Amino acid sequence: MNGVMVFAAQVLSASLPLCLAAVGGVLSERSGVATISLEAYLLGGAFGAAVAALATGSAVLASLAAMAAGAALGAVFAFSTVRLRAHAIVAGVAVNLLAAAGTRVALKVLYDSASNSPPLPLARSAMSASVGWSALREMLASPPLWIAPLLVVGAHVALSKSVFGLRVTACGEHPAAARSLGVPVDRVRAQALVLGGAVAALGGAQLTLHQGEFVAYMSGGRGFLALAAVILGRWQPVRAVAWAAAIGSLSALESTLAGDDTMVPAAVQAVLSPAAFRAVVQAMPYGLTLLAVMGRFGRSRPPAALG
Amino acid sequence: MKPRTRALEVVLAASAVLLTLNLVVWVAGESPRRVLALAITGSVGSAYGIAQTLAKATPLVWTGAAVAFALRARLFNIGAEGQCMVGVLAAGVVGAWLPAGAPWALAVPVALAAAALAGGALGGLAGWLRARFGTHEVISTLMLNGLVAVATTWLYSGPLRVGAQVHTRPIAAGAQLPQAGALIAAFRGSALNASLPLALAAAFAAHWYLSNARGGVAIRALGSAPRAAEALGVNTRGATIRAMAVSGALAGLAGSHYVLGVKGYAEQGLGAGVGFTGIAVALLGVGTPWGIALAALLFGAMAQGGLAVNALVPSDALTVAQAAVILAVAALGASSLATREAA
Repeated sequence: MNGVMVFAAQVLSASLPLCLAAVGGVLSERSGVATISLEAYLLGGAFGAAVAALATGSAVLASLAAMAAGAALGAVFAFSTVRLRAHAIVAGVAVNLLAAAGTRVALKVLYDSASNSPPLPLARSAMSASVGWSALREMLASPPLWIAPLLVVGAHVALSKSVFGLRVTACGEHPAAARSLGVPVDRVRAQALVLGGAVAALGGAQLTLHQGEFVAYMSGGRGFLALAAVILGRWQPVRAVAWAAAIGSLSALESTLAGDDTMVPAAVQAVLSPAAFRAVVQAMPYGLTLLAVMGRFGRSRPPAALG
Repeated sequence: MKPRTRALEVVLAASAVLLTLNLVVWVAGESPRRVLALAITGSVGSAYGIAQTLAKATPLVWTGAAVAFALRARLFNIGAEGQCMVGVLAAGVVGAWLPAGAPWALAVPVALAAAALAGGALGGLAGWLRARFGTHEVISTLMLNGLVAVATTWLYSGPLRVGAQVHTRPIAAGAQLPQAGALIAAFRGSALNASLPLALAAAFAAHWYLSNARGGVAIRALGSAPRAAEALGVNTRGATIRAMAVSGALAGLAGSHYVLGVKGYAEQGLGAGVGFTGIAVALLGVGTPWGIALAALLFGAMAQGGLAVNALVPSDALTVAQAAVILAVAALGASSLATREAA
């Protein structure tokens, strides 16, 4: 029972950043702008959360600060791609670089450290709680966890029902037609990108709150995994979140296996070493995404203007 | 929007970032002028600094040429990162596999071919996915980057590990590229090696191929008018795969700088980031070999300058400046990409 609850907490903490980043990715990409800057949003959000938590000691304010940081990075991305017409992929690479290096500079300036922030002055962080119930309880007390379901449902309803959502989709599918109908394409895209940045960055807050500190480069490629979930989920919020949760569960499984080689089934051990098996588990999201875009299971069609 | 207004906005945006950077340096308690002066003397102010800048530019010439090559087919290879990683791996594994006494005339070409083949296979795979299934190369190369990162992490920490070492066995002596320091005394101690002239030669050769060879012209036709090319009987699928394979091979050869030129072995993290910076180099260099060389030099100088100021401000400050340059280049490059297509 203890193990089950620890694992449940691990699944939640591994999935939540991916789910939030995936929702942010869906919001952004549905407007027709390829968004590989999810990595930057997670990292910037993680840092914003650390700064606010250290200044105020509040996990709620930390979450809000993360969203503000993500919105700011989303605004930089939107300004470059929408206003200056920079190539979205190149701008995404630059924003990722900006967040990775910028947080390190700020880390040095604010906390005089090259690698991590001071520990957050919050109630015991989930990392320190390794026994079942308290691990799960710490996890359940995390503000991003309560906001996440609202955001998922909100994104789903907004994209499929609201005027704003329909405009976003129109900009993503046929910007010229949208423009001819009087939709301010640039403004709608900018709004979608800023909003997407804020939502994705909340996932970064979860990383920091869970870790109990900010660590340089702590997003560790999760933004690209979230992008994989967006693609696997066919650019629909609920499906993308489901895939993000699946990918998060895989990585929770991988880290559980890393702690104990004997948990790898004997049948697997006959073929693969435990380390090789963990590598296979880690590689699965990328492999599945490749299969999906090859059209192996159903058609995964991106918004038409994404190209 | 008028081009002039746009250029102004780009300049303003870049200035804003640089101003912020100055502010950060100032808040950190250092004089921006002193930091800049140190960055400049550190990167171009001495023979050693220049050699180090050239060494930092070397992998960027490879990856810049790689990204530029695929761009001529209007294919966006953002997998140079992963292609470089497999190039490092292949050069390290094959270099160590060669017999210790192998003459350099044999060992160097074999190790280079291994890096090129590994990167080329990975790039070619993305090209094939595009040609066969219509899979967008941005998505496939990003996912392949992820796969390669997982696979190399496992290989370096597991099967390829030598005892307590975290890197592969050293390569055969014959596979090592000549060092600049051995020829020119002033460059002694720097990482500059023969991978740079090789990279420049490759960039020019790739340009020549695109301009003159039949296969290269097909790639350009695919880039400027895919339907017309197809109607005129160009094998567009073949051209897609070829463009990505050559691009991947060039990116894989960036591994030669690290493994055959500097370290003498392969390890995790060699070449991290050069694939992405290569995109900026390709755009800033507007696809010409000289342009790529100059752009690589600029980014190399920034990387080396960042190390020189590290005692005062984190070297990442220069990386922030790099990001600003990439954004500015991307914004300005939007029009230059379009012009090149029209030409």
